[in-house]
Amino acid sequence: MTTLTFPLSRIEGHAQVVIEVRDGQVLSARFQSTEFRGFEYFLQGVPAEQVPVIVPRVCGVCSTAHHVAAVKALEDAYGVTPPPLAQRIRELLLIGQIIQNQATSLFIFTLPDRLDVNSLFELVAGGDGDQRSSRLATRALQVRKVGTDLITLAGGQFIHPVKAVVGGVTSGISAQAAEAMRAEIEVALPLACELFDEYWQASLALSARLGTWGDDAPACYIASVGERCPNYEGRCTCAAGQGEKSNAGERSSCYEGGGCLRVLGTAGAESTCFEARRFREYLVYQETEYSYAGQTSYRGEVLRANSLARINMARAMGTPLADEYLARFRASFGHPAHAILLFDLARGIELVYALERALEILSAPLDGEDTDVPYAPRDGEGYGLVEAPRGPLIHHYVIEKGLIARAELIIPTVHNMRAIERALRVAAERYIKGGQVNLELERAVGRVVRAFDPCIACATH
Amino acid sequence: MMKQFAVLQLSGCAGCEVSLLNAEAWVEQYELVYMPLVVSAYDVPEVDVLLVSGGVRTDEDLYNLRRAVRRAGQVVAVGTCAISGGVANLGDRDDVRALFMAQAERHHLPRLLPRSHPVDTVVPVDLYLPGCPPTPELFMAVLTDPTAFQAARAVCQECGRRKLRDMRPTHLSGFQRGEVLPDICLINQGYLCVGTSTRGGCRAPCPRAGHPCVGCRGPSDAFIEHESAQWLTSIQKVFVSMTDIPADELDRALRSPQLALFLFQFSDYAGGDRPPRPKEKVL
Repeated sequence: MTTLTFPLSRIEGHAQVVIEVRDGQVLSARFQSTEFRGFEYFLQGVPAEQVPVIVPRVCGVCSTAHHVAAVKALEDAYGVTPPPLAQRIRELLLIGQIIQNQATSLFIFTLPDRLDVNSLFELVAGGDGDQRSSRLATRALQVRKVGTDLITLAGGQFIHPVKAVVGGVTSGISAQAAEAMRAEIEVALPLACELFDEYWQASLALSARLGTWGDDAPACYIASVGERCPNYEGRCTCAAGQGEKSNAGERSSCYEGGGCLRVLGTAGAESTCFEARRFREYLVYQETEYSYAGQTSYRGEVLRANSLARINMARAMGTPLADEYLARFRASFGHPAHAILLFDLARGIELVYALERALEILSAPLDGEDTDVPYAPRDGEGYGLVEAPRGPLIHHYVIEKGLIARAELIIPTVHNMRAIERALRVAAERYIKGGQVNLELERAVGRVVRAFDPCIACATH
Repeated sequence: MMKQFAVLQLSGCAGCEVSLLNAEAWVEQYELVYMPLVVSAYDVPEVDVLLVSGGVRTDEDLYNLRRAVRRAGQVVAVGTCAISGGVANLGDRDDVRALFMAQAERHHLPRLLPRSHPVDTVVPVDLYLPGCPPTPELFMAVLTDPTAFQAARAVCQECGRRKLRDMRPTHLSGFQRGEVLPDICLINQGYLCVGTSTRGGCRAPCPRAGHPCVGCRGPSDAFIEHESAQWLTSIQKVFVSMTDIPADELDRALRSPQLALFLFQFSDYAGGDRPPRPKEKVL
């Protein structure tokens, strides 16, 4: 038996891919997460009020999502509903995270695969005197920076934000600061579209060269999206009835309950909707011997989260430019689309959507005084759901005597683990034939993993 | 020729790396030759500067760290995980350790060490850059001219909130509790802000946004070479002089193991198995 080990780069965290070959046949393709810190264990005994400060440190890339999920879980336990202004500022915070993350994944993680370089920063420096690619890299970093500036504005700090607190947010956003942010986004939006067009072309060229868009077998998809458009705040807009709701109709009913998740079946039609607190009835979690991260399935079937899941489930994006891209995407690749390199293109649609949506939110006043409501901490149990860039993130806490007695972090990358391994196997079988290993395999492994934009720090926590 | 630098990522959250990405002005002076988050390269080559982030949590971290420093001109420990163990140190309790060491046993994967170790317990460190994470401005200072970096002594002086003499809370609110008045010192409002004793240089983003400083930059120069208890004592003195919170309530809160553990994830500079860090080496 031959074992091929591939170290990974341009992803978040420490992981490697191990492919076993026997008699010229691919025996297994495994995705191994090689780090572990133990958040679910060391959160035990910690005062509940410290949690929104501690858990962002699960991951510096996804800290915003953990920050908000923790606050929402405590609000669920305390029976608190934040005021509308706080909810808008939190949505802005999560939208900033989408911009920052999708720009990072598109331009820093995966664009180098399409331009055949080791790093975007090779291009920024313009060492080879290539003006065009130097300009490309500079614009890419400029678009990414809008996301980080938006998180700073809405979250107080770009990494490990602090502004979401139980009951609301610590402060509003002044009209002046909102206007300056709008101006910055107005400049970045056309740049983002331009970059996405170039990225789209480069992806077409890549798939033409490879002769494939990667694993395109049907899968189940999971996200916490509404009926009409992706809803990154994690609230559900689907008609009451499928999931358990306290009050029919209104968006806020699901929000109070901790939010809803939806699953699109492999046939692309049937969908299930359930509250975060009932996830165990639908998602089957399994630990593995060869990785510090576990895997989930949807009642035994391969599950996919992240950009393609949301795009496959969205009826429309709800903003003009993003809707144009969505129409073009569906006309080109069908609906639902399954090929894995389309995760990357779906991220581009979301980048445009998030920039447009941020402009909408910033147009309404955000400097009101009703930033928070009073509350009384109490013991109990709470679930917090947000749609993070990588999919639905659930925080679950049991509080006893004001201290965390039990903590559970349900991580979207874990939902993708089986899908990643299936796609790796497809790639391995393509490039290992008759005992010969095509050297393209190493690059294919990198592309497959990056399409899912996994976050290992989150997955293992 | 441009100077070259590398970033060795040990066990951490990548927040330091992401912050570094926002300090993008370094591209004009440095070539980034190794940082797995953004560069595909197999190994750390010879470099002028090696930034190390994350704590030494596994045997693989230990191996990678020892090997990488041999090729580095200057070694900088960045972020609280690399300097004092960081958030992973919250697991440095016997009960918790027993729990997760039992769960975390895996074959053919890097083995967990019993605790998360700071980088300087393993290799010599030339410079420390504390913060969780350090701001982009601080990263630029480290990469360009650390000696020229000017900052206030403590976060408190960078915050800009006004301290009021006649606003004396009678009850401690902890870190989070409802309304925050703009422009007024968070201690005046009863929040457990430790910005008075925390190292300056971050420009106080958290208290400016209305969240108390949790001390992620660690102790200011006044306390950095002393044992951690002095840091807590100084925080207590501030609350005694600025508030009317009953002494026993303050004592209970500030001397609770939960609070000490929380603050020490960022600031346990003198605890454990090493001498205090000389303040000249800390940015």
